[in-house]
Amino acid sequence: MKDRNQKILSSLISIVIGLAVGGVLVLVVGLLNSKIGIKGAWEGVRIIFAGILSTGRDAAGNLTWGFNSSNLGNMLFRATPLIMTGLSVAVAYQTGLFNIGAPGQYLMGTMASLMIALSIPTSVVPAWIVWFLALLGGMLAGAIWGAVPGMFKALLNINEVLACIMTNWIAANLVTWMFDISNFKNMAEGTKSGYIYKTTYNGVATAKLGLDKLFPGSQINGGIVVAIIIAILVYILMNRTTFGYQLKACGANRHAARYAGISDKRNIVLSMAIAGALAGCGASLYFLSGNTEFFWSTYQSLPSIGFNGIPVALLALNNPVAVIFTGIFMAMLDIVGLQLTNLTAYNEFITDVIIAVIVYLSAFSLVIRMWLAKRGKKKAEKKTETETKAEPAEGGTKA
Amino acid sequence: MDNTEDYVIEMLHITKVFPGIKANDDITLQLRRGEIHALLGENGAGKSTLMSVLFGLYQPEEGIIKKDGKEVRINDPNDATALHIGMVHQHFKLIDVFTVLDNIILGAEDTKMGFLQKKEARRKVQALSEKYGLQVDLDAKVEDITVGMQQRVEILKMLYRDNEVLIFDEPTAVLTPQEIDELMATMKGFAKEGKSILFISHKLNEIMEVSDRVTVLRKGRYVGTVNTKDTNKQELSNMMVGRPVQLEVVKTEAKPGESVLKVENLCVPSQIHKKNAVNNVSFEARAGEILCIAGIDGNGQTELVYGLTGLEKPSSGSITICGQDISHASIRKRGEYMSHIPEDRHKHGLVLDFTLEQNLVLQSFEEPRFQNHGFIRNDAVRSYAEGLIDKFDVRSGQGPVTKARSMSGGNQQKAIIARELDRDKPLIVAVQPTRGLDVGAIEYIHSQLVNERDEGKAVLLISLELDEVMSLSDRILVLYEGEIVGEFDPKKVSVQELGLYMAGAKRQGTEG
Repeated sequence: MKDRNQKILSSLISIVIGLAVGGVLVLVVGLLNSKIGIKGAWEGVRIIFAGILSTGRDAAGNLTWGFNSSNLGNMLFRATPLIMTGLSVAVAYQTGLFNIGAPGQYLMGTMASLMIALSIPTSVVPAWIVWFLALLGGMLAGAIWGAVPGMFKALLNINEVLACIMTNWIAANLVTWMFDISNFKNMAEGTKSGYIYKTTYNGVATAKLGLDKLFPGSQINGGIVVAIIIAILVYILMNRTTFGYQLKACGANRHAARYAGISDKRNIVLSMAIAGALAGCGASLYFLSGNTEFFWSTYQSLPSIGFNGIPVALLALNNPVAVIFTGIFMAMLDIVGLQLTNLTAYNEFITDVIIAVIVYLSAFSLVIRMWLAKRGKKKAEKKTETETKAEPAEGGTKA
Repeated sequence: MDNTEDYVIEMLHITKVFPGIKANDDITLQLRRGEIHALLGENGAGKSTLMSVLFGLYQPEEGIIKKDGKEVRINDPNDATALHIGMVHQHFKLIDVFTVLDNIILGAEDTKMGFLQKKEARRKVQALSEKYGLQVDLDAKVEDITVGMQQRVEILKMLYRDNEVLIFDEPTAVLTPQEIDELMATMKGFAKEGKSILFISHKLNEIMEVSDRVTVLRKGRYVGTVNTKDTNKQELSNMMVGRPVQLEVVKTEAKPGESVLKVENLCVPSQIHKKNAVNNVSFEARAGEILCIAGIDGNGQTELVYGLTGLEKPSSGSITICGQDISHASIRKRGEYMSHIPEDRHKHGLVLDFTLEQNLVLQSFEEPRFQNHGFIRNDAVRSYAEGLIDKFDVRSGQGPVTKARSMSGGNQQKAIIARELDRDKPLIVAVQPTRGLDVGAIEYIHSQLVNERDEGKAVLLISLELDEVMSLSDRILVLYEGEIVGEFDPKKVSVQELGLYMAGAKRQGTEG
């Protein structure tokens, strides 16, 4: 219990440090830029801390604040894939593996999901079944793409980081190629090139579950609920089941697991497959929403959502339930960045740098935790010192 | 004696407190010039803490340290070096990828205008090495030399720095019997020269052989200092443990029953060289007997155990347990017939980052009593763990939820033994079950193994310690270069005779 409080505290402290440094950065950039000035800089700082609650500007040009349903809804919408890639990294990490392959798994999930959602005619199969198949397809594609580096690791003892980096780029090129020769390219809307149809083109979209009424004007849908449920299921899997026990045993000490008759090779492959399935599921939930379009010419870049799973997991100290909150926090930074660009004279590049600094510092929670633990130990030491000093006096009287 | 007053080091009333534990409580240790002074105590008695205080790694809360009669403050190892105090740590502090010479001069390099003067250093080290018979290859990398040679490097490091007080922290734990003999001789040579030696150990034989005086610690407290020639092993171990200890194993005559394990023409490949590490080995272990495989380390014991337990695939031969052929069975399948107390408790025995209770069910978490449709029954695991902890007296900071990593070596081993013996399998494979443990723990583990034997289990003991082999076993097989070179009855063979077989000087024509 005390341990848990310390973990939560360390994550909160690193978030505050990240925001504070981001605020200072905004201030400095603002003061150095004559277009922004003191007033603009102060506005910037306020947006960094509370941008999610900003509602724009009033007639007099002052910032207004309040419940911004579209901001909050979009935050939860964007958090959905981040939670999934965060889970992907966290699960792998708990089993002793570093899954830097989430971007590739995410891309493969995207491809499988979109192709299934767009190719099965909803006139024949009910849309919700197509949606479900697309989700499963995305998870399966991600799982396969995760299992590949897992197999290299298990059978040939090749470092999973190396294998993941390679599978990432293979995925980037494979996906581009596959869509290039496909007929899913959105040529209908004249000015567009390089985009794939939205899934709504085939009538497939994630159910809103009434969340759009709660957050009117936003992109939110039921995906966030699915992500939260999966996070809780992953937590249960890792902490309450014999399967999770085996996975963690293999991660913590492969030799001891083997000694106890646990198949280490099988478990390494399974860990990576689960991690891949989670990342692939994140892609499905994002692109099945119906209002997102996929830019298929990805061969030169990897999706940042995949990599952002790493800070999400780090900030959550790899706890699946905590990943829900850190994923939402990272999505909030996204929205805050947009607000900063839209409402003030800060351009999107400065914003990106500042947000990156906040993300970077937030992921320092492990360092903070070690510092807290050390401090706690010192306190305990002092306490026992005073206690033991009192003791000999008692012993003396006995003698 | 007129040299009574000539103390080179005096540690007076040292108290050192760690959170939750008083590691040293008012301990006094006086080291005479030119003596070998043994510091004896069980694991966790405070020996290493006391030496770390002397070496400047810890600051005591109370007490003073005197060097040559003058009070000194030792704030860090540099201060200790300046006072000519040197230490060989239990785990060597060497840089694996550096050469021997580089390791020796590291931290005490002679330079001229910023350039290393290695020639001078090499001459000095060579002279020292010849003078004391400490043979090392100065240009070999530390990772390529034997543990014994690494220890000589550590000793040369102390000599190179002209240390006159030498601390040896459990120096024999990692050495072969021959290397131990050499070390003892070297230590005696140092003492004759006027160097003073502090020798930390819990091995009574060595202490009796080499030391002049012994200071005994127990649970952080000072028990007493005695002259070695006025005492004996029994008295020392009683002082150390605080109760009369059974040094000899008490056991009745073995009543061997039917065959439990039958190994025929087993060959296991080596990971190091191309030949078989275990070559054409056949033997049988019977219920109700302790069969011991003796031999010098590295003669195929590890591979034999790997082959039996399934950690390594045998290249040929067959293994039968209780009539079942398990030559090609999985580790899990074999686990149904045997308990395995592994050689390396950190590599195979425990998941160090798991809690004690998680480690206690490492072999059995899939049994119905610990899981329900794949969900772990935490309450069942907890109560089972508490039962075992109680029964086997496994001590730890926080009971079942203690991280295995934070437990002492002796208690880690007890946890493994608790887990393995409680599984109640017909065959127990125990590989060096008492390595690195103190007298009290050894006594306990030996009696447990004898109990298991008396309950009709077959115990296969692999040990490098001849004392253990002679006192515990009912039958001895000697392994030399992967082959069984002799079978003996411990009551009818002498240690010297066994030694000849272990060294490969003799072998029986066929197995008995």
